[in-house]
Amino acid sequence: MSERNRLRSVLTLVQLNGLIPIRTTPLYILNTLASPLSFLFFIFIVSRGSYLLYGITGGMVLTTMTVGTSLQSDLTHYRHDLKFQDVVVASPVEAPTYVIGMALSELVYSLPSLAVFIALFLLWGHPTALNLAVLGGVCVLVWAFASALAFTLATYFQDVRETFLFSPMISLVLTVLPPVYYPIAALPAWAQLAARISPTTYAAELVQGVCGLGPLTLTSAAIDWAVLLGFTAALFVLAALKARWREP
Amino acid sequence: MSSAIVADHLGKTYPKSRPGKYALDDLSLEIPTGRIYGLIGRNGAGKTTFVRIAATQLAPTQGTVYVLGYDVRNEERQIRTRIACVPQESRPLYFLNSEEVIYLYLKLRGLDPRDAHRRTMDAMEELSLLDIRKTLVSRLSGGLRRRLLCAMVLASDADVMFLDEPTTGLDPLARREVWQAIRRASRENRTIVLTTHYLDEAEALSARLALIESGRLRLEGAPADLRNRVQYPFRVTIQGSYPRDELATYGKVSEIEGGWLLFTREQEADEVAKRALERGLRISMGPVSLEDIFLDVVGRSIDEETEAEEPENGAPGAKA
Repeated sequence: MSERNRLRSVLTLVQLNGLIPIRTTPLYILNTLASPLSFLFFIFIVSRGSYLLYGITGGMVLTTMTVGTSLQSDLTHYRHDLKFQDVVVASPVEAPTYVIGMALSELVYSLPSLAVFIALFLLWGHPTALNLAVLGGVCVLVWAFASALAFTLATYFQDVRETFLFSPMISLVLTVLPPVYYPIAALPAWAQLAARISPTTYAAELVQGVCGLGPLTLTSAAIDWAVLLGFTAALFVLAALKARWREP
Repeated sequence: MSSAIVADHLGKTYPKSRPGKYALDDLSLEIPTGRIYGLIGRNGAGKTTFVRIAATQLAPTQGTVYVLGYDVRNEERQIRTRIACVPQESRPLYFLNSEEVIYLYLKLRGLDPRDAHRRTMDAMEELSLLDIRKTLVSRLSGGLRRRLLCAMVLASDADVMFLDEPTTGLDPLARREVWQAIRRASRENRTIVLTTHYLDEAEALSARLALIESGRLRLEGAPADLRNRVQYPFRVTIQGSYPRDELATYGKVSEIEGGWLLFTREQEADEVAKRALERGLRISMGPVSLEDIFLDVVGRSIDEETEAEEPENGAPGAKA
């Protein structure tokens, strides 16, 4: 398949799984807004407004993470219930093209949510070129590793109900327990150590640091980027080696 | 004639299957280029497993399949650019309309929008789907959805098309339309691998047929030739009383409502018919049907269920 055709396939998947379902059922957009805005509201009330910026930046990270959990459900449903993956496997479309197209299509659902959080950030986040760039970079990496993880898992699930079981657990490990919505210092010492297992801790540290919400040295920033990139690369390798594009 | 697909001592056991259970067992066959090739067998016989391996959706355990000269084990990328498949029990995405199902599939395969649109319209016209062009899939009947999937694959530019039970749930008229489209694709030198448990469909469409039972190839050839491959190529139905022992000397006899069914050879069929007429009995005779051949070879009707092929849906077929 030529590069031009790959691009056409990716854009077709965006249209097929993103734009058309939104045209048919616009409520999908509100669905992606619900969780991050609920967290933001909760944090705003509990902290009496002092953690507002944590809620905004955390909301962006959660929104991009949600792309992964939604992707996991869709891919499992398409593979198992509709046999759509089998249709695609027996075609010139390769697995990376399929995953990129589907992951981008899930991002389409999240664009309104991201737009809301970006607007809030522009209003209350003291935006600079640097913190916007870091925020953008972190969100891209979170989207990438969440999508790779979602694809790998989706090729193993035998029923879409299994994703209902795993998605909350993944969200818990990647967005709730790590200090995405609060400073890491708010955690007890043992929990701070445990949070280091999650890549979103490093994502949050970077975002919070660059927005002036926590300490960030050049060294700690380099470590955070390295861990985030390493984790993303590891999940890409895992997807390439272990995802079942062709069943064993 | 060259072969589009060559299966070479193909074997498949599923990872979670019981030891000694084979979904496919030492299956070798050749599918000629540009022809319609029918795979028949009971549910769970191994047809879908074969199709899924040849369509590079499932890895073989033993042996291999060459599709258009490429090995499914390690040259799947070359194969995938030239194949298309309607999987068994597949459904089109329910939030698309009928036209989008075909058009987006073709674009996904890399066709340019103009070509994709032209092929979409042609396929919809061929399968009488233009009236539901803008109807959401979620509002279509099961038969129309199946027809849509057939149109989707038949509209493609693939050289080899796998159609796994393409006409299940279709009314007779719609089945005939799908048959016409399949024949048209074959005339364009595309190879069609068709699995079905409708024996009339297999016989009407296929240039060659393979009968699979318990993962093994039991009979293979052109439909007309298959009759010569069974021990008794003629059937005689006798209405009325006739001594069973006497009939049994001519071939295989079984009791039917109000009389006997005899499978025999042509010469013996003539003789039995003559004797039955002398006794004033009503008879009918002729070459065996594909269903008769199936019953003779397998020992059971094609409608009898066997164990499912894949462990997710049950246990695989037993090794014969």
